[in-house]
Amino acid sequence: MAGRSDATGESAATGRVDALVESAGGRLDDLAAYFRERPRLRTLAVAGPPYATLVLFFAVPLLAMLVVSFQTGSIGGPWTLSNYAEFLGSEIYLTVVWRTLLVSLQVTAIVSIVGYALAYSIVRFSRRTTLLLLLVILPFWTSYIIRMYAWINILQSDGVLDSTLNAVGLPALGLLYSGPAVLIGFTYVWLPLAVLPFYASLTNMDPDLIEASKDLGAGPVRTFASVTLPTTINGVVTGVVLVFIPTFGSFITPRLLGGTNNIMIGMVIENQFKSAFNWPFGAAIGMVISVVVVALLVLGTRLGGGLFDTGGGEA
Amino acid sequence: MREFDDGRPTVNRRRFVQGATAAGITAAAGCLGGGGSGSDRAPMDVEEWPPEDLESNLNMWNWYDSWADWAIDAFGDEFDVQVSNTGFSSPDQWYSQLEADNSEIDNVAATTNWVERSIENDYLHELPVDVMPNWENISDRIKEASSFQQDGSVYAVPEALVLYPLTYNDEYFDEAPGSWGVLWDDEHEGDLCMWDNATVSCQIAAMYTGQDPIQPDDFDEIQEVLVQQKPLLQTYWGDYQQGMSLFVNEDVVAGPLTMGRTYSARFQEGAPVHYTAPDEGAMYTSDLFVIPKGSPNPMASLQFTNWASETENAAKLFETMGYQPAVDISDELSEEDAEFTNWPDDWNLVFSETLSDEVRSRYDEIWTAVKAA
Repeated sequence: MAGRSDATGESAATGRVDALVESAGGRLDDLAAYFRERPRLRTLAVAGPPYATLVLFFAVPLLAMLVVSFQTGSIGGPWTLSNYAEFLGSEIYLTVVWRTLLVSLQVTAIVSIVGYALAYSIVRFSRRTTLLLLLVILPFWTSYIIRMYAWINILQSDGVLDSTLNAVGLPALGLLYSGPAVLIGFTYVWLPLAVLPFYASLTNMDPDLIEASKDLGAGPVRTFASVTLPTTINGVVTGVVLVFIPTFGSFITPRLLGGTNNIMIGMVIENQFKSAFNWPFGAAIGMVISVVVVALLVLGTRLGGGLFDTGGGEA
Repeated sequence: MREFDDGRPTVNRRRFVQGATAAGITAAAGCLGGGGSGSDRAPMDVEEWPPEDLESNLNMWNWYDSWADWAIDAFGDEFDVQVSNTGFSSPDQWYSQLEADNSEIDNVAATTNWVERSIENDYLHELPVDVMPNWENISDRIKEASSFQQDGSVYAVPEALVLYPLTYNDEYFDEAPGSWGVLWDDEHEGDLCMWDNATVSCQIAAMYTGQDPIQPDDFDEIQEVLVQQKPLLQTYWGDYQQGMSLFVNEDVVAGPLTMGRTYSARFQEGAPVHYTAPDEGAMYTSDLFVIPKGSPNPMASLQFTNWASETENAAKLFETMGYQPAVDISDELSEEDAEFTNWPDDWNLVFSETLSDEVRSRYDEIWTAVKAA
């Protein structure tokens, strides 16, 4: 009797679940039909949330920074152009921008060469690609500051590097607090950002093109210049931009590793916000730098023939 | 509600838009942290001690990390309050929260000039120090030094004095250097450091050149001597830990460092360092407890502020952080600690008053120019 009762109860419960599923399915069908009849609303529903996110967390803060950059002394002060005039009219600040540009170009060049070679060797010569990529990405799992302190320990006098050199009878380099230390720190930090797009574009490349180039008599250098690089140029440009932009705005690496002669514009901006309390001037510098970076981004896009085109370029 | 023929509710355009708008506003409010603006209870409402009905939570922002770790348990256990602490590396981190209409922070350990800014912008609760029993523990020297009292109202309770001395390797130097000029001495080339801080470094240069560090009269001279100094330095340190490490690793023999970091380097890291105030003078400021408006737990914060000024709790602050507490703790100190914390009467200590906009701006320009030179 009890079993029959249970069976009856189970059947009723199953029926209710079926009815609920059918009801929910019907509502989804109605909703789908509703959107199907209204293509503009459908587009809004799909594209709205990401656009809203961009507006809320990118456009609005940028606009706020733009507004603040035209104010005097403090937020809410009188309107002025003096922040821009002071920055663009000062040889000191422009010198810092120029130095930042040079460092960023150096870092980008080094990271691109090392990163491309690394990605190429992973794609062409290794079977353990997943493991190698994991090793490349691994540093991202550690705090930026901690990685910089690790480099301090490696590069400082009597640090890991100099101790090792001394142990094998070579002179110590004493690299910490120098330009090379900054380049090393940046290269280490940004390498994964470059390797991933390089790797993606090299993976998409048809290896038969290389064989064809060799069959036609081209040597390794010519094959690389005429086939491999043009075919992967979009990935290269993406990697270059991903490295150049954050380097241009960096302030922690040059501050911790750079010593007395490696000021970068990010450090000046940080100082305006954290120490000088001159947020409008810091915002003005930030806006100018943003314009410079966007200009370089556009230039990169032109050079790359479509920065965000994920396919390979034409050989 | 209009319904389909089969009884299910329909979705019309108006209802969809209304729903989407409501969802959007709710999501935005959640993202922006909207919500309550804190308790309606104000510390000045307390007329008798102890304050009644402490809240069960306390959210403090205190950058004396080690002491805060200890205080979380000690205060929490004594008053049955759940305490959390958010450490910070720069005061603008909590100040920006106050600017954005605080509804989370109950208690901040704030440096004097940030307290002044907060008072000017009406971000802080006035405190009923007359009914707070431990207010009398705060030494008169500190009460007079800081500008946290305005128009007869008190907005903060001092936590510690922070000295910016000349720190030096006491094995390298036979005796404490008597002048900031040691940082311009060719003999120590490559073994010196400066603080990557426009105000501190320019004020040191001002004192070195015989000027008033608060209102100097020759900015060009300050810039000139800082540029002259640059080749002698190993680095400008920008992070307190980095500054301390320079001395602990004996990469440098002299430079500016806070008293607390010098204490940590000496007694916790075993480095041969000590500090002094050169003849030209040394700057000092103070850190103070404040209760921001919008605090959700103002009574717990008020009780904590009073509790922190008990002698043994202030002594713990010195033991863990090495800064001079606002309370006289001389009876609690070992001979070694008492010797370390003793500031001779003949030291020329200059309180780090808030700089005028003009001086601050000029110092900033000078510092950028020096680093770009």
